Amino acid sequence: MRRLDDTPIDPEIEACLDAIDATLAGEPVDPRHAELAELALLLADERPRPSAAFAAEMDARVARRFAAAPAPASSRGGGWTRPQRMFWSLGVAGGFVAALVVVVVVIGSLGSGTSSMSSSSLPTLGPVHGASAGAASTSSSGSGGSSSGSASASSAASSGESGNLDASPSSTATRSVAPPANGRKVVQSAELDLSAAPNRVDSVAQEVFNVVGTAGGIVDSSQVTQTGGLDGSASFQLRLPSASLGQTMSRLSDLPGARVVSRTDNSTDVNATYLSTQHALADAQTLRKALLGRLAAATTTTEIDSLKQQLSDAESKISAEQAALRGLNSKINYSRVTLVINAGQTAAPVHHSSGGFTIGHAAHVASRVLVVAAGVGLIALAVLVPLALVAALLAWAAYSLRRRRREHALDVA
Amino acid sequence: MKGRARRSEDVTETETLAPGPATDSWTRFEALYRTARDDVYSYVATLLRDPAAAEDVTALAFERAYRRRRTFDRRRGEERAWLFGIARNAALDELRRRRRLAALVADPEDTGLEPAEEGAEVALRRTAVRTALGALSAREREIVALKFHGGLSNGELARVLGVSESNAGTLVFRVMEKLRKACNETA
Repeated sequence: MRRLDDTPIDPEIEACLDAIDATLAGEPVDPRHAELAELALLLADERPRPSAAFAAEMDARVARRFAAAPAPASSRGGGWTRPQRMFWSLGVAGGFVAALVVVVVVIGSLGSGTSSMSSSSLPTLGPVHGASAGAASTSSSGSGGSSSGSASASSAASSGESGNLDASPSSTATRSVAPPANGRKVVQSAELDLSAAPNRVDSVAQEVFNVVGTAGGIVDSSQVTQTGGLDGSASFQLRLPSASLGQTMSRLSDLPGARVVSRTDNSTDVNATYLSTQHALADAQTLRKALLGRLAAATTTTEIDSLKQQLSDAESKISAEQAALRGLNSKINYSRVTLVINAGQTAAPVHHSSGGFTIGHAAHVASRVLVVAAGVGLIALAVLVPLALVAALLAWAAYSLRRRRREHALDVA
Repeated sequence: MKGRARRSEDVTETETLAPGPATDSWTRFEALYRTARDDVYSYVATLLRDPAAAEDVTALAFERAYRRRRTFDRRRGEERAWLFGIARNAALDELRRRRRLAALVADPEDTGLEPAEEGAEVALRRTAVRTALGALSAREREIVALKFHGGLSNGELARVLGVSESNAGTLVFRVMEKLRKACNETA
């Protein structure tokens, strides 16, 4: 049937329609609509009426609320029985639950994979835990040899992907790499590269001063540039007591608001040099003592002048060897440390399990669960929304098709 | 345009169609059944022109309405229009199913309700109306069925057909004009 425009109805037509309604309601109508009224009554009289048997049967079925009355065989087909509906409802619900379980399992497996990757690539994080932190750590020892140990963060991680600017430093301390304490003379040095939030460079630098002062170290030079941007930086040339170098380095690696990007520990065995200098000093002192003895016994002017010259040379050598020995002792007792702080984003710390159940750990786990649940929900939505749209589209298409077929059936009837 | 209220015959209880807030869906359905049973049958029978099929379709329509009674949304129209929509879909499904047999379907049976003592003029007019009705297309016949046999107001008729109320009125008027002309030609 062609759908007419929704235009206001003509007054004459409206009057006719009112006459029809009045006639059907048993009300008088205008004489000029008498013919229409008669036609309306004749049409109403043509109204088919149900048989008494059908009316009784219908009353009975309605009284039973259609409980035991199957739909007429000739017109059945559109409705489902209750068991069928239950079957399909359970099937749909089961399918949905199964899909949700699959999504959860997939997400779970993806999540665990991501976790293991991040733990290996996260910067520093606990850096030198053997090889697990991804740090290249080598050491060699031997007379006159040198050794070094370094811990460095991956470049990707050093860019601070997690963006946690208030990273707790407690877990970022590096374990010190120290030469064996076997009495040999060793000169140690270290380089420490830290990263701090752009607005925390100066506070971290201040912490460096505090730690060095507490440790009895010396700040040979420092330069702090605070811009508030990513170009802020600080650099320090430090001398730290070797006896507590490991402890101090740990504290420097553990500064609040900073994380370790890389750390390098160097050591040089100067035992041979130290001993040779000691021997040379002893020899020079022995020579000086002998020369003083000979000078006391000298009788001629020529002999005295020669001995004085030799004595002067011996004393010069003694002074030089003593200076060399002091320099060595200084290097041995105070290790040079180069510390650099660069502005950047600090990575979220990795909380290594201490083995016990704590509130913090529980909160961490709870937040993790919430994040995973949100992720699962998001992915489920990403899957279900398109499916729902497609289903709605199909349902609309099916409805439209059925409606067209019905209308077509009326056209051809 | 005025509407009118009718009641199916032989239904003894007298609950009103308009339910109160506390009336449950069953009571509403029962009231709807009592007032609309005969109207739905008349509409379907006129549309299908097959009393037996009309009984089946009418029963199916009420059963569907009963199953879906909780989905009825009053904001989308009155209950009678909703019920006739269900009946119409069931009737059209029946027409689709019987499409191959449609040509064999006979005119409505003579129900024997013709008054025995009516005058010859009225009898002639009645015959002319039946002839004119038989010449209508299915769509036009449906308009007559909804309006004069189903007892729907123009607003309800519009909701059943999915057109505006003014369009429904125009459709009724056109059919009436066509019938009037056909009757006059026959006379």
